[in-house]
Amino acid sequence: MKKIIIVLIIFIFLSGCTNNSIKNEVNVLNWSSYIPYQVITDFQNETGIKVNYGTYSSNEELLAKISSSKEGTYDLIFPSDYMIELMISKNMLDKIDTFRIYNINNINPLFLNQEFDMFNEYSLPFLAATSVLCVNREHIKDNIVKYNDLLNPKYKNNIVLLDDQRIVIGMALQANGYKMNETNEDALNKAKNWLLNINPNVKAFDSDSPKTLLITNEVDIGVIWNAEATIAKSYNDNIEIIYPSDGFAISLDNYAIVKGAKNKLNAYRFIDYLLRDDVQQKIIEEYPYINTTINNMNLSYEELNYILEHGSYVKNIGFNISKYDKVWAQIK
Amino acid sequence: MKENNKAFKLLFLLPVIVYTLLLILLPLVYVLFLSFCKSDSYGGIVYEFTLSNYLNIFDSTYLNIFFKSVSIALITTFICILISYPFAIILRKRNIHIKNLITKLIMLPFLTNSLIRTYGWIILLRKSGIINSGLIGMGIIKTPMSLMYNRFGIIVGMVYTLLPFMLLPICSSVFEIDNNIIDAAKDLGASKLQIFFKIILPQTISGVFNGSLMVFIPAIGFFFITDILGGGKIMIIGNLIKNQFLTARNWPFGSAIAIFLIIITFLLVKLYRKLGGKLDDLGGF
Amino acid sequence: MKNKFLNNLFVILVFLFLYLPIIVLIIYSFNSSQMNIIFENWTFDWYKEILHNSDLIEAFSNTLLVAVISTVTSTILGTISAYGLYKYEFPFKKLINGLIYIPIVIPEIVLGISLLSIYTLMKLQLSLVTIILSHIAFSIPFVIVSIRSNLTSQTKVLEEAAKDLGASPFKTFTKIILPTIMPGIVSGATLAFTLSLDDVVISYFTSGPGSLTLPLYIYSVIKTGITPDVNALTTIMLLVTFTILISITIIQSRKIRKEAL
Repeated sequence: MKKIIIVLIIFIFLSGCTNNSIKNEVNVLNWSSYIPYQVITDFQNETGIKVNYGTYSSNEELLAKISSSKEGTYDLIFPSDYMIELMISKNMLDKIDTFRIYNINNINPLFLNQEFDMFNEYSLPFLAATSVLCVNREHIKDNIVKYNDLLNPKYKNNIVLLDDQRIVIGMALQANGYKMNETNEDALNKAKNWLLNINPNVKAFDSDSPKTLLITNEVDIGVIWNAEATIAKSYNDNIEIIYPSDGFAISLDNYAIVKGAKNKLNAYRFIDYLLRDDVQQKIIEEYPYINTTINNMNLSYEELNYILEHGSYVKNIGFNISKYDKVWAQIK
Repeated sequence: MKENNKAFKLLFLLPVIVYTLLLILLPLVYVLFLSFCKSDSYGGIVYEFTLSNYLNIFDSTYLNIFFKSVSIALITTFICILISYPFAIILRKRNIHIKNLITKLIMLPFLTNSLIRTYGWIILLRKSGIINSGLIGMGIIKTPMSLMYNRFGIIVGMVYTLLPFMLLPICSSVFEIDNNIIDAAKDLGASKLQIFFKIILPQTISGVFNGSLMVFIPAIGFFFITDILGGGKIMIIGNLIKNQFLTARNWPFGSAIAIFLIIITFLLVKLYRKLGGKLDDLGGF
Repeated sequence: MKNKFLNNLFVILVFLFLYLPIIVLIIYSFNSSQMNIIFENWTFDWYKEILHNSDLIEAFSNTLLVAVISTVTSTILGTISAYGLYKYEFPFKKLINGLIYIPIVIPEIVLGISLLSIYTLMKLQLSLVTIILSHIAFSIPFVIVSIRSNLTSQTKVLEEAAKDLGASPFKTFTKIILPTIMPGIVSGATLAFTLSLDDVVISYFTSGPGSLTLPLYIYSVIKTGITPDVNALTTIMLLVTFTILISITIIQSRKIRKEAL
């Protein structure tokens, strides 16, 4: 009996410990495959701040995680453009105290003052990504320039798409000549039918690591994030990267502080660290997305201009999101 | 003495009462409650009564997922029976040490994580994987086969993960059959088929039902197997619930599907008990 | 003769199926390539690498912590409950008895989301504590069920005898009941421990920041590709459990042999 009581006391003590003691930590939620593991360990070693690092694979998943958890559970998150706008409107973010971020001048002004957060009160740019088409030229010789080219029944089970409803439905809308963020019922219906047509050709929906399917020859075609495509190309030089002629998605992912964050100062330190030139260098080396700092630009101004001109941002569409939910459930 | 007895009774009953009410009944009642609530389009729960979540289940989109899910679970269960039954009958006559060892060997893979075992299947099944390159190397096939990111891959994963739940109850019921009865039947001139249908099957049928229950029900919910081996294209009910809770932010609808699953489970358990199964046999192996 | 050969072949094939992915994982833990795609060269480096992967170590120790605490707690509570339910009558006993089976039969995902909902409702922050609580919740029924098989009519006779001889309820429990149900307690605890180590679904729904467990770590890296140090850790764990299991089997067989003599 005594033993039982002792064990119970230890148990209560342990659970108390994990709950109450103040720890030098920061709770981060980020996209999977975004920050190299080494960068996080270096930061921990340098500052002694423990990074509790969690990942998500879509903005919607992030939103669900934040809204279902107790306030103060997470500190630093990396939502994309439209999600920033939505989270601001839902009062889910705290303002960023830019005075605490010494390396703020490293940010390329080209990416500041965007529509979704005009004065960068709640967000600062981290990385930009575009969706691109990639084709393994070893196996596919056909001319592929636009989304409709993917409907060819020859490509049965040979395509990987991102597991992201806004990007995939946006692509279907663009293929039908609509704008990426269209919410008109007719347009969405057409997009749905288009996706049902392409479905037999799709082998997998994967946002976490679509490159793996291309590298392992599981598929020959992908509409995936540009960095994933670049990495795939580094493994297999036959992979060609194409910007589709009917348009593509740009996603600007941002640092943002969750409302009621408990470790704000540590979050600022982490942002500051990530903005350092040598750290940025390490990040783009491993995940070659579009860099948003001045000293590590990995695209020329011509390329950037092309992307900004032809690509479209995903926008916050308010309650119309339920229409997208429905289409998504129907095609999967 | 009486006081003491009462305190003793309380000590032995309080934990189980608190536990069942707080960690089993309360969560389920809350899910039931949620399933009648509305949700706003961005994940909030609106406390207004509605039946729409249940009506939504009968939308063709979701019915399709239910159908797919049940068919995958049924195929999995069936394959598990087809493997386990002959396995048990073959080993029936071995001595107890071997039987003991075999039960342990069946359980051993369990002690590693099921995810990492599923990952082992990726290495085996993908186009550039061991099975394909092996078969190509031996000249049996020319181009690699699609063994995962499809239904086949999912069923391999399900059968693999759930097979022990079928093997163990079937083995234990088959091993319990008295050899003397079978010998007597043989002496009386019963054919092999007669022995199987008249003696072995009736005595082991509850083991089969037990295994089927322990395979079929989890197979409806194992979202990670479809996620990993199915490539996010094939959804089962487990994925649907997971999505409602973790990405689509529609907890009430997710709850309604969960309640639906609970009802299916209860019906199956009822059937199992009607057929003479004991609840206590389900958990212990 | 041919029949026997086919029979043995079938048994071997079933075991091959059960062990194939594990063998592959073990072999790939010695693979010098990081990608787990092609086997390049033999190396032991990944075993050293485990010590440098702080996430992996944290996940592993969290997993053990969760498994140990939840096993100890659920075994104690399960033992008390099994005896209480066996010995005493009380109102709504049938209901409580029925509720016990729910975690055993319902799909894990349903238990996962209902626990998540209730934690959210109670504004509990998701952390290791909620994972431990959830593991206790699904382990207790398995412990109760495995102990029940030891509580037979014979136990009642023994209990009555002890009572007649003037033993207090407490003494009866510790001296008579505990020894008789010990095998049930041990197998219940083993089961609880195994279930906790293996659980993916319930941990997935009830974890928060800083509560990385091994299954969750693996789930987060499984699509990007698991590095062979995870294989190496699994191999070590497998070796340990294999040794334990084999020694238990040997001891048991010896016991049976001795009893036979």
